[in-house]
Amino acid sequence: MKRYVLFLIGLTITAVYLFPLYWMYLTAFKGSSEIFQYPPSFWPSDPQWNFLQVWKERDMGRYIWNSLLIAVGVTVLVTLLGTGCAYVLARVRNIWMDMALFAILMMQVLPSSLMVTPIFVAFNQLGLLASPRLAVILAQTAKVLPLYIVLCRATFVQVPRELEDAALVDGSSRVGAFFNIMLPLARNGILVTSVLIFLQSFGEYVYARSLIAKNELQTATVGLQTFMGPNANDWNGIMTYAAIYVTPILIVFMLLQRRIVSGLTAGALK
Amino acid sequence: MQSIIRTIRDGSGFDILLLGFALVYLVTFSAFPIIYNIVMSLQTVDMFTIASFSRPFVGLQNYYNILSQPIASLVFWNTVKFVVLSIVFQLSIGFGLALFFNQDFPGATYLRGLFLAGWIMPALVVGAIWKWLLAGDFGVINHILMSLGITEGRIFWLSDPDIALYAVIIANVWLGIPFNMILLSVGLASIPRDVYEAAELDGAGPFERFRSITLPLMRAQLGAVISLGIIFTLQQFDLIAALTQGGPADSSNVAQYWSWQLSFQTYEISLGSAVSVMMILFVIVVAAIYVRSTRHEHSY
Repeated sequence: MKRYVLFLIGLTITAVYLFPLYWMYLTAFKGSSEIFQYPPSFWPSDPQWNFLQVWKERDMGRYIWNSLLIAVGVTVLVTLLGTGCAYVLARVRNIWMDMALFAILMMQVLPSSLMVTPIFVAFNQLGLLASPRLAVILAQTAKVLPLYIVLCRATFVQVPRELEDAALVDGSSRVGAFFNIMLPLARNGILVTSVLIFLQSFGEYVYARSLIAKNELQTATVGLQTFMGPNANDWNGIMTYAAIYVTPILIVFMLLQRRIVSGLTAGALK
Repeated sequence: MQSIIRTIRDGSGFDILLLGFALVYLVTFSAFPIIYNIVMSLQTVDMFTIASFSRPFVGLQNYYNILSQPIASLVFWNTVKFVVLSIVFQLSIGFGLALFFNQDFPGATYLRGLFLAGWIMPALVVGAIWKWLLAGDFGVINHILMSLGITEGRIFWLSDPDIALYAVIIANVWLGIPFNMILLSVGLASIPRDVYEAAELDGAGPFERFRSITLPLMRAQLGAVISLGIIFTLQQFDLIAALTQGGPADSSNVAQYWSWQLSFQTYEISLGSAVSVMMILFVIVVAAIYVRSTRHEHSY
């Protein structure tokens, strides 16, 4: 009995916490006069379906495409660079590896909004700002690569060393053992971490806002920010935009929820 | 030549190669910008000298200029308030929730996981939603507060200079709760149950058990969560950009946003770098303390 009371309390707390999400979807479904009604309604009286209209009017296809391009670029680059590094950091233990890991942990905490000033000036001098989406990919990769390495390293630590040693004894080369034994065994952790990196880069804002000058190359976050403008009052449009943008993210999250939680906690505390 | 190929296929060359790729990348795109940032903070960098490689060297002039601006102390205290209040509330609410969901009831793990939905969303979108929730005239928060009788009239959360900073803090606390809760849950789960049972047999009440068992055993975890909280709070930019953009009249401006404004809105780039250098230094010190403290707990 007590367990069900606790369950109900837990459900209530979760509902209160997730209320902002509910309000976003609710506003997206309300009509344009209903959102300014007082007192506000907690269920749409005349549900509207504005999604296609907002998608077209705000040119969301282009924004989302740019965000996707950047997120895919970052994820590919991070996975290529980071996986091997995480493996080595998990496998080899000596003072140099400790120092490398320490340096990587330090780079994990650098705020984008503070790093963007020197990156902007340096990229400008190198002419990288001529291809601004690439510039954002490079900068965002540097931002999330340390996190990827730390989380993936935790995965590689959990793979029993004996399996790799056995392959080496059987005459496999180091390269062979890495690709045939270690990578397949760490596959799940690598996948979940890549998804996490992908989601983070899909919502990237600071670098896109600062490094991309042309509106047609901008990301969905900047598109939303422009939509919100100083005197915004099209709140059901804005919330529709937000709902279109975050629904895929939330779906991926729901599917991978358990694994993301365990991956995160393993990396942050070890 | 052959021996180089062999060491890469089969020896420590393989390790060095794999490690090298990532480290070279990070040195190029993370470590170098930090050094360049320090250099820029000692020069005059503005729209005219931004592309040039030889800029006038001005020593610590930028630091002097930035710290003598009247807004500097406002931003400093705003940053302190933003960090301290965010962490106090994230931590206490997160800890409370962790304790609650640590109890044994159906769906506890699943419900706890749902909280991370707030954390996984782009912070800019979270900011947009909170801007609408907190809207002065038609915001639902004002409606709820007034119908519960907590406030008399409408609060203009985002346009009242006395309140704007707290509005940003409220949204930031919402964003930070899940992370605090999940990390603290891990710590709670690792405390053996029989310690509590023994204390209960000795006649310790729930409060006494919390004070003498939970808190001391969670010290390392709490330390880690507080340092991570400081680090994440100082990274918060998107939320401020969506909610108040530092205004009205800089009343909700914090250091990381100010640095960006100086560089990208008023183009006083060397002043932006100077603020940025000081903040990066602070973040790195906090991170170093965090890493050292967790290393002591988990000898790997």
